[in-house]
Amino acid sequence: MTIWWLAFILASLAAVCAGFVWIIIVLNRLQSGGGKKALGDLNKAYSDIAEEDATHLFNKEFREELRNRGRLRFEKIIDENAMFLKQDLDMTISQLNDYMKKEISAKLDGEFAAYAKAMQEAQELALGSLQKTAQEVEEQRQGLAQAMQQYVADRESAMLKVYEDNMAKIVEHYVLLALGDQFDLKAQLPYIIHQMEQNKQNIMEDMRL
Amino acid sequence: MSTAAAVQYVLPAVLITRADLARLMREIEALDNELEAQKVRNHASGKASGYHLPTMSRSLNDFLEQNHIDIADDKIRVALRETLKDTKEHAPIMHMTFAVEADPEFLQRLVGWLRQEIHPQALLSVGLQPALVGGVYVRTPNHVHDFSIRSLLEDKRDIIRHELEGLV
Repeated sequence: MTIWWLAFILASLAAVCAGFVWIIIVLNRLQSGGGKKALGDLNKAYSDIAEEDATHLFNKEFREELRNRGRLRFEKIIDENAMFLKQDLDMTISQLNDYMKKEISAKLDGEFAAYAKAMQEAQELALGSLQKTAQEVEEQRQGLAQAMQQYVADRESAMLKVYEDNMAKIVEHYVLLALGDQFDLKAQLPYIIHQMEQNKQNIMEDMRL
Repeated sequence: MSTAAAVQYVLPAVLITRADLARLMREIEALDNELEAQKVRNHASGKASGYHLPTMSRSLNDFLEQNHIDIADDKIRVALRETLKDTKEHAPIMHMTFAVEADPEFLQRLVGWLRQEIHPQALLSVGLQPALVGGVYVRTPNHVHDFSIRSLLEDKRDIIRHELEGLV
């Protein structure tokens, strides 16, 4: 619809221009072949007609109408351009969003991967440290347990030895007190001689010095 | 040392300690003096030579009897005194300590074994230590031998320990 209006306006303008061109050509013929007076009158007449037609053609209403149509057309073009711009902008924004999403996703994926890797390394490190600590604790526990067992065994042995020594002394003391001087010396003579017989060689060597 | 001093007399069992030997020497010396006095008196009175032997101790009698010594012989007496003096100074002495007082019979049996097996002129030095409980604590010139019951008990403490370990 708008194009048709525009074509109409352009055709009108073209017709007016063609009229002016035709008038000029006719005037030129008149000046070259007829009287100058007639030509002048004719020119004047044509000028008046053209002026009248121009005044008639481009009156105030028509100009207003043209202005309105131009405004509407301009607004429409602006709206269309705005719409196209909006579409382009939306598309660009959409593409930009996609791009940003992709980039951010890629970046985040990379960061997450690095973070996960770092976390895994930290976890492995912590796990290794914990395992090492646990191993050391276990070794220390075993060492402590062995030391404790050894200490307990030594202590038990020492206490048992003290007990046995004391018990032996008690028994020996009891025997000494119980026997006292009840031993008959004559009855001991075979024992004494036997003991001296056993050490006879040593005694002999010592007595002959 | 004289020739007589080299003679090794047999010591009777009654001669147990150095004190006994010293007592024997004093008795022999006294006997010698007595016989010398009798000799002088006999010479002064013109009597025939001959001695009237005084009563002697058992130890001297046994000594003279076991060694077949004629004590009336002046030379023998002199030699005997020298020999006994040398024996007293050089005879090996064994110190024996008992838990109770040892009677002479016991000591005679002990010294008899000692002179038969160890040294023919060995002497004893007897001590008393009740803490020994029994047995004897022997000290020779260079060694000590503890044959006492106390030592025996100490050595046998392992038996008690072993029994106690069996109980534990």
